[in-house]
Amino acid sequence: MTHPFPDFTAPAGPARIGIGGPVGSGKTALIERLIPALTGRGISLAVITNDLVTDEDAERVRRSGLIDPARVRAVEAGACPHTVIREDPTLNLAAAEDLDAAFPGLDLILLESGGDNLASTFSLDLVDWWMFVIDVGQGDDIPRKRGPGIMQSDLLVINKLDLAPYVHVDAAAILREARAIRAARPVLGCCCRPYGRDGADGTDGIDAIVDLIDREVLFTRAARQDAG
Amino acid sequence: MTLLVNRLLGTLADPWLGEAVHRLEHRGAVETVTLPRADLARRRLRLRTDRGSDLAIALPREVALVDRAVLLLDPDRAVILRVEAENWLRLRPRDGAEALSLGYFAGNLHWRARFEGGDLLVAVEHPLATYLERLRDRLAEGRVQQVEQAAG
Repeated sequence: MTHPFPDFTAPAGPARIGIGGPVGSGKTALIERLIPALTGRGISLAVITNDLVTDEDAERVRRSGLIDPARVRAVEAGACPHTVIREDPTLNLAAAEDLDAAFPGLDLILLESGGDNLASTFSLDLVDWWMFVIDVGQGDDIPRKRGPGIMQSDLLVINKLDLAPYVHVDAAAILREARAIRAARPVLGCCCRPYGRDGADGTDGIDAIVDLIDREVLFTRAARQDAG
Repeated sequence: MTLLVNRLLGTLADPWLGEAVHRLEHRGAVETVTLPRADLARRRLRLRTDRGSDLAIALPREVALVDRAVLLLDPDRAVILRVEAENWLRLRPRDGAEALSLGYFAGNLHWRARFEGGDLLVAVEHPLATYLERLRDRLAEGRVQQVEQAAG
């Protein structure tokens, strides 16, 4: 495959994207969908997971068979998961630098935060761009509650849209409301594990997320040609 | 066509750059791109200049964007970065107890703040109404006074 960055990656090093959001919203599931989607576009990537006091998420990604386990690092955040992605991201910066050194030519590092509430944000010293993942199972009022994660993220992802009818949520309405609250900032819906389907029919929203990542952060040849 | 920026050439304060950009200004060949101050910490951005040119910026980690940075310079065009003027919400607490309480409250909400005399100044990075909504009870009860909203 022709490398998608013929003239652009060397000086800047790999891009770093943060993925935050409450416990159980589907951050790790989203990573499991992003890995093959990005790899399929020729992107060389690695993953850093943050857990409270274990390496549960890292182990899950390592065992997924989707990525070389050596490309997955775990950071144990301790009691306050937001602290290591915002106030003092030293541990995550070190993990990112280790991966950068270990895998020359890396294009992208995904940093998953330990689950937290609606207030968690990423330091821009750590990541270039970050998304916040919520899901319909938390209730249709989550976007209205705002909070820094909802309001300040570069992308708000609303996951598990396929479960909306079972939890009394109007999927179209929660997307519409979130877009109104965030004004110009993007909101995308997805189903990381489409119930009863394999997700291969292109209606799960994953491609739209990858397209946005490419356009806003990776700047592959395809994304630059899209600009006209 | 997307313009790629992976280094900063310098700023308009650098004499040789300032003069080169000035010459292009006479030919109407200088484009600007404007950023909120909060976005200066970013290393990768996709932006449009005031003339609609598409810009993809990917800087090394040790490089930081600054106001008046020269992003691109060639014989026919220059692209300059400008930082938006910041608005500050100036809040005057009624007394020392309220000053402590207001400072704790602003910190809890992660508002970017500075101090001037006895006032707390909050950087307005979101619609002003969202700040005033959070302060509604304090303002209504006279515990805090909104003095002015200053650009700076």
